Formats: sequence, C-alpha cells, structure tokens
Amino acid sequence: MRPPLRPTRSSRTTPNSTSKPVQVIVWGAECLSRQRSAPQTFNGYMNTRFPNRYLPYFLIGPMILVVLLFFIVPSAQSLYLSFFRVNTLGTRSIFVGFNNFVRLVTSRDYLNSMLVSLQFALMVVFSGLSLSLFVAVVANQRLRGFAFYRAMLIWPYALSPAIAGLVWGLMMNPNFGLGALLLRRLVGINFNYLTSSLAAIVFLALAATWKMFGYNIVFFLAGLQGLPTELLEAASLDGAGSWQKFWKVTFPLLSPTTFFLFIMNTLYAFFEIFGLVHITTQGGPGQATNFLVYNLYQDGFISLDTGFASAQSIVLLMIVASLTFLQFRFVGQRVHYL
Amino acid sequence: MKVRRIAFSLLVLLALILSACAQPGQTPTEESQPEEPAATQAPEAQEPSGDGPVEITFWHAMSGSREEVVNGIAERFNQSQSQYRVLPEYTGSYAETLTKALAAYRTGTAPVIVQVYEVGTRTMLDSNAIVPVYTLNQGEVDWADIVQPILKYYSIDGNLYCMPFNSSTAMLYYNKDMFEAAGLDPDQPPTTWAELEEYSLQIMEAGAAPGGFSMGWPAWIMEQMYATHNQLFADQDNGRSGLATEVYLNSDFGVMVLTEWQRMAEEGVLVYGGREYAANDPFLAQQFPFLFQSTSSLGGILNAAEFEVGTAFLPRFEGDFEQGNSVVGGGCLWLMNQASPEQQTGAWEFFKYLNSVDETITWHKETGYFPATNTAYERLKAEGWFDDEPNHATAFDQILSGADTPAANGVLLGDFVQIRDIVGAAIEEAVVNGVDPKQALDEATAQANQVLQDYAELNQ
Repeated sequence: MRPPLRPTRSSRTTPNSTSKPVQVIVWGAECLSRQRSAPQTFNGYMNTRFPNRYLPYFLIGPMILVVLLFFIVPSAQSLYLSFFRVNTLGTRSIFVGFNNFVRLVTSRDYLNSMLVSLQFALMVVFSGLSLSLFVAVVANQRLRGFAFYRAMLIWPYALSPAIAGLVWGLMMNPNFGLGALLLRRLVGINFNYLTSSLAAIVFLALAATWKMFGYNIVFFLAGLQGLPTELLEAASLDGAGSWQKFWKVTFPLLSPTTFFLFIMNTLYAFFEIFGLVHITTQGGPGQATNFLVYNLYQDGFISLDTGFASAQSIVLLMIVASLTFLQFRFVGQRVHYL
Repeated sequence: MKVRRIAFSLLVLLALILSACAQPGQTPTEESQPEEPAATQAPEAQEPSGDGPVEITFWHAMSGSREEVVNGIAERFNQSQSQYRVLPEYTGSYAETLTKALAAYRTGTAPVIVQVYEVGTRTMLDSNAIVPVYTLNQGEVDWADIVQPILKYYSIDGNLYCMPFNSSTAMLYYNKDMFEAAGLDPDQPPTTWAELEEYSLQIMEAGAAPGGFSMGWPAWIMEQMYATHNQLFADQDNGRSGLATEVYLNSDFGVMVLTEWQRMAEEGVLVYGGREYAANDPFLAQQFPFLFQSTSSLGGILNAAEFEVGTAFLPRFEGDFEQGNSVVGGGCLWLMNQASPEQQTGAWEFFKYLNSVDETITWHKETGYFPATNTAYERLKAEGWFDDEPNHATAFDQILSGADTPAANGVLLGDFVQIRDIVGAAIEEAVVNGVDPKQALDEATAQANQVLQDYAELNQ
C-alpha cells in the first residue's frame, strides 16, 4: 500500500540530499535492498530502456547544468573570495590568506552567533518534532476528512517566511498585537520580542515551528500510514496499552521518518529563517537572534564585506555538507528498527 | 515505436527545460540593472528617435507617502522642460539603495542620481564613482544660501559633494496631555537628562504612563549626544581632516551616557524601543511621555497622535560640557560618474530645480524634512507657517542655535553602516541585556576600530 502523499521534490537544499531519504521513507525497507543491489542491474536497466548510451547523460544534462550554475560555480567563487578583503566597490582587493577565517573563529560575535543558531535549532527541532508527532498520531486515528485536514495542516508551509514574519510580528507586536495583549491580560506576561532576548528567541522559535508544522505532520502521517498494522495488532494481542504500543512499536518504526525530519528541521532552523528574522527582530535585541545566516547577510550585503561574508558562507556550506552526509550515512541504516 | 515516441517527447521536454534554464542564467545581469525603465516609460520615450529627452535615472529610498512627493517633484520637473526626463525609482531602504547602486556600478549600470543616507557619505566620497556637485556649479547656485549645518555635513574642505535633499535631525517629542495629568507645565519641556528623568518619574507615579521615554535610532541618538556636548566621536576631527582610524566610543563621555541609560532602563524610565522607528508606536499608544526621534517622523506623529504633541531640543547632561550642535541626518543626492555628459547636465538642471524656493517649501511642508535653503526658511517664516506649526520650527531652531565645531558637524566614517550597527548592538547589550556599559563599549570600540583600519587599508 502506498501512502497517500509522496513527498518527492519537497527538498529545499541540494536536490541530491533528499531524493534518497524520501524513497526510504516512502517505500521503507524494500527500497533499501533495491538500492544496495542497484549497481549490478543499472547497466542492464539502461540498455533495455534507452536507444543509445548517450541519451541518459543528455537527459540528466539540465540538472547537471543547474547544479553547476547555481551551486558549483558560486561555491567556487565564494571560496576564492574568502581569501581576499575587497572594498565596497570591488575595485581593490587584498589577498589575506586565511585571515578571514581566523577572524571568524576568533570573533566573539561569530561564536555567539553560532551558539544562538544552535540553541534556536534545538528549540525548533525539539518543539517542532514532538508537537507535530503528537498531532499526527491524533490525526491518524480518524481518517474521515483526512484530505481536508492535511490541506489545512500544510497551509503554513506554503507561506513565504516573510509573510509568516509579518503575521507573527503583527500578532505578537508588544504595542498592538492581539497575541501580546492576550498574554498580558490573561497570563500577566509582558511579552516583548523587541526588548527581551529570551522573548525574541522564543518568539522566533514559535513562529518557525508553526511554519514547519504542516510539513512535519504530513511526513509523520505518511510514515504512520505506512506502518505494518500486523505488528500493532500483535502488540494489542499481547496486551500492550496504547502508551506502550506507541513507544515500543510505533515510535521505533517511525525512526527513519523522525531522523529525516530531524535533518530537514535542522537545515530549516539554520538556513531558512532569514525572512522571519529580517521582518521581525533583525538579529536583535543585542545579538540575541543574530543567527549565522543573518550575520552573513549583514556582513555581505549591508556592510559589503565580501571576503568576510564569503568565509562565512564556506563555513555554512560545511555545516550543510556534514548534515547531508549524516543523512546519507545513517538514514535507514542504523536508525531503522532500533 | 512506443519507446521512440517517449524518447521524442522527452527530447521536446528537455528542450523546453533547457530554454527555461537559459533564462535564470541571464537574469542576474538583468536584475542588477533594475533602472530599466520599461514599465515606467511614457510612450513617447520609447520612440527610437535620437532627439527624445535624455533619461535620468534617480534611485531613492523614500517609501510611502514620501515616494509620491518625490514622484511629484520629478513630474513637475519633466513638465517644466522637454530636454530631460527624470525617472525616480524606489529601490528599497537606504542601505539597500546604497548597496544596489554600488553593485550596479560594478557592472556599469549605475543610476545617474542616487540618494544616499548620511552614514554612506564617506563610502561615496572614497568610491571614485561620483561627480562632486561643486564642480558643476557655474555660479548658478549660491551655496551660502544652504542652511549651514546641512552644508557643513556634506562638504569637505569647504566643497559641497552632493546635493542636500532630505535633511533632518533628532529632537525630543513629548505628550502634553500626560504633563497635565501629572501636574506639570506642558510648555516647559525638560532641558536636561536629570529633568527628563524627574518628569518621567512624576508622570509614572501619577499613573499617566507605565514608562518614561524611548528612542528611535539609538546609535544615532548616541552620536547626537556626542555632537550636542561637543565631544569628538572619532579621530581626524571626526574623520573630516582625513580617514578616521579610531572611534572614541569608550571615552569617559560615552561610558557616562550609556551608564545613565542603563540606570534609567533598570528604573523602568527608559523603555527600549528597537533600532529604527518601532518606538513611535508605543509613544502614540501613550506608553511613555517622551520619544527621541528624527524630525522626519513629525508629520506621521502629528497625524496619528490622539493627544497634544510637544517638541523640544535634545536634553543635555549636567556637567561642564561645551555647546555643540545636533547633527544632520537624512539623505543627499549623489551624481554617479558613469552618466553621460548630457545626463550629468540634466541631473544638474534637476538639482537646481530641487533647490528652487517653491520646491524646497513644498518638500518641507509635505514631508517634515528641513527646508534646505535660508531663502525658503525666510519665506516660510514670512508666511507664518512656523506660527501655525511651531513643532516644525523646533528642530530648525535647534540646529541653528548650535556651535560650528568639528565635533558638531557630524562624523564621517568608512563603512559607517557597519559601525552604527556595532554601536546599536552595544547599546542593546547594556540597556536590554544588562552588560556592563564600559565592557560593551570597549568591545564595540575594538570592533569599530577594526572596521576602520580595514577600510583605511583598502582605501588609501
């Protein structure tokens, strides 16, 4: 049985990073075995399907071109620029070797930025995954009107980060926001994301979680629907309660989905919150929400410090690369059937 | 057969994809020249004849109602003659406009005229990308007629480099209704920080407001404090006699100011309100009686306030400080040197038009920015404008009553955008996060000095 939603082409990072895990989630273990045996059958497969051996290369040509133009070339340029200090007009540049990188690692601001990004990612991933898993489990109970719920739940994901920022910024505006007003009147909390560091990061984490909510739920639902029912039935027969069934059977079986979402949410928390931050806190108060991407934007596009910003983008690239590596390495291998 | 057909349709699809891919490859260059006036062009301008009007692109950062005022000026100029056609275009915030203009310059597609805010002045001066306006003036414009503090800000060695356009300064706004509620005289605003604090506490105790004051552009208010107390902000006479290489942020004066602010924040008197205009809303919502803000907000505040608004000079710290002056902020119009000679002449014609008394007065009345020439000011005074609108006179009286010293003419720093950001963050660290003011300013100074040294290294 196929799950109702095939999450293909949902990737926001490099196309490569998701094609495989997506398959893993959708088809589960059977797909893994096919992947392992793929090298032997690949040639035969090609020969039977394509009239000549060049067509396949021709067909993947556009993708290669896109990756080359929008990923390889700019990355190489960034790497090159990271060894220079360039003036605002780009008319003079001085070779500084690894100086930009040395400055990065010795900069208190950058280390702070790294730290707040990490804190933020933890908050978003933890609250996002636990909440959406809860909702997905509840929504999985009754299937009537499922399509409607699913559409409703994924709505926030369709909003651009900037719109989400506007909505949340207005709602929680300390002066005229309804959310802030309710918090003040009902709970007595003076929630001001413009002046309190804690409020700012909590506020952004809430907004970011909300925006990823639908995406997470849809994947969890797909994962839950793909679970073999006989295992759950067997557990019931053995006298397991619903609490035990969830933690002993469902949750471990879901682990590939959970791990995939963990990676996606981490990437999201690190890289996709720019619009949200730019519309609402702009990195403040102080340096409280000056996340890595925002810091890069400030240095690269406001201060026009191209070299320093390039060095930061190289660091970010390494982070993405290692997360992607983790994903490739572990999804479906160690996590599956814990 | 079937396979063939599939392969063929795939090929067609591929061709489509490829042609779609080719476009993104080209768009970067298209994006970097958004002055392409296709959308705004009037039909006659599209005629391929060589004797049509010379087009003068003008990038600016005036959003909202101000954008319409700018369009109005351009429209009137275009109708006043047929040789040139000014095409104003809103290109985002000040920082974005400057960044875009510099990026466009790199690709040879810079606008003819670009509006740059005051912190971008040093960058423009050192860019080798501009034509100084004083070189265009054949005695047609009397520079001496331009209001002195504005003239001084944009002049180096007595030569004016850009055309003053929208000039403003900071002043103190206050809520007269709250003064009355607390038994204070609404026509006696505070003149010192001690009074400001005292009045704030009185108003808070009377239950008229939960807080005392807030400020827009805190880093700029800090600069204003240096200038009004005649304290240098950076070396080389505030960067006016050479490239500045260090800032005096952690001087005794700077630490004193920030310590006071921190103390008042702890008392609940200072309500931190964000880095730009965010503090205007709580002021309008009567959360505190005082607001430090640019004069450019005057129109908006007067329109929106449901209470009587008063305005006053920036308060001073008690102690033995000399008289300085509040610093001019806002924007100035720069002529880029990629423009053709005809475009440059046209831009100069437009500058002259802007500087005319009528346009200066319109600009002031519709936006709240300063009337930039003394003639326009006198005319406004004779018309009785300032008697009807005393709040429009406050900031003007303030800059005209100050001293003319290097410290009061405003700071010119390389990469000032970045430095103002560093100062803004330091203020937030102290006022919001409770970091020791001296420590926050020491760190900010070290960072700012690094920025200045890098700048000097690249621009000497």
